[in-house]
Amino acid sequence: MIRKHSLMVFFIVFLTGCAGSENESETIYVAAASDLYHALTDIGDAFTEETGIIVEFTYGSTGLLTQQIQEGAPFDLFAAAHESYIDQLIEGNAVFEDSKAYYGIGRIAAVSSGGQEIVMDKDYLLSDEVKLITIANPEHAPYGKAAKETLESWGIWDDIQPKLVFGENIRQSYQYVESGNADAGIIALALMNETNLHFDLIEEHTHETILQALGIPVQTEKRELSEQFADFILSRTGQDILIEYGFDLP
Amino acid sequence: MMDSILTPLWLSLKVASTATILAFIIGLFLAWWFAFSKNKVTNLLSIIITIPLVIPPTVLGYYLLVVLGRNSFLGQWIEGITGEPVIFTWKAAVIAAAIAALPLLIRPMQASFESINKDIIQAGALDGAGRLQLLRYIIVPLAYKGVLAGLLLGFARAMGEFGATLMVAGNIPGKTQTLSIAIYDAVQANRMMDANIMVIILTSTTILFLFLLHKWFK
Repeated sequence: MIRKHSLMVFFIVFLTGCAGSENESETIYVAAASDLYHALTDIGDAFTEETGIIVEFTYGSTGLLTQQIQEGAPFDLFAAAHESYIDQLIEGNAVFEDSKAYYGIGRIAAVSSGGQEIVMDKDYLLSDEVKLITIANPEHAPYGKAAKETLESWGIWDDIQPKLVFGENIRQSYQYVESGNADAGIIALALMNETNLHFDLIEEHTHETILQALGIPVQTEKRELSEQFADFILSRTGQDILIEYGFDLP
Repeated sequence: MMDSILTPLWLSLKVASTATILAFIIGLFLAWWFAFSKNKVTNLLSIIITIPLVIPPTVLGYYLLVVLGRNSFLGQWIEGITGEPVIFTWKAAVIAAAIAALPLLIRPMQASFESINKDIIQAGALDGAGRLQLLRYIIVPLAYKGVLAGLLLGFARAMGEFGATLMVAGNIPGKTQTLSIAIYDAVQANRMMDANIMVIILTSTTILFLFLLHKWFK
């Protein structure tokens, strides 16, 4: 009998354990595109310092996060790497239409895993020196799509196929280059901030503009707090941090 | 840094323990059933129960997403009762881990039940032992090792569950980010120190469990 009781207590403690200990009202959960990893984490810290509201981030590919939000993932704010995904969620009634806002324009850069100065042009990417090139998956990562467009505009998309490795998101692609497992990659400029890898900024006209937008999912119970954080991203402080990491302003 | 390790560790322990308890209750019943009545139904069920062991975890996760998702019948039914969706919560992680752990829990338990000589039970019954006495003095002493082995294997599998969890519970820090998902996240973020510590924790727990298993069966 005692054993049965202690098992029950054990079970109940487990079931309720989390709910009591977390201070839910003071935390917002933000889903964000991987390119924002450094910049948005900084903005979140600045926001917490100013307001005391804690921000928890989930970084992933924009396509995956869009899918999860459409299925009801409990996020209070979504910062996508491309506005089209926010539009898609508005259409699916998963994001408030009036919450959509542009917060930045992303840039991409070609990066090599070696430290030495190399001109990261198409000839280099095609050369024998480069065995593996990584970009984010163009199917569901806006930075991967932009990288693909650039490679197409350079006329080497077909030739480069055997060398291509897709990252699940741009952070994973960056990791492949950083760890030396890929010789080169086309990565979000914003992820280059804390690196000593050699990279060349890619000209904007080679790909569609990476116009980034955010939105508030409809199932949030903290719309006011989410709006407060969205406003903070769009404020002078937020925008300055984004510029610091290589974003252009919309 | 401690929080980024302790929170996922705590969540993993919570998810894995709950999943193991859940799977144990179902598994014990099924293992008993499979061991003592062999027919077409139990054979078929036995095969179905093994599926999570052989399909890729992401495929299992996909099935769960289809079955438990907000647009599914079951998902909507649960949401209607509890008022909130089950996916992208730690409960979804528990369901994923429990299903992944179930075959590993059942097999050793079933084997240990099957190894009990039926004559002994019948002899005991003939000598006038009641059901509870049979359970206490014959079945439990003969089968407890297999039951423990099932529990350990199931728990270890639940601790390490990654693919299906990521699909149905997502990667939300403090809510659904278990240890294995936190490791994946830390590597991508280049937080190698965090990743290394978590890898060591996960690996040493697993080795500890295998060691215990080995010891008990010597």
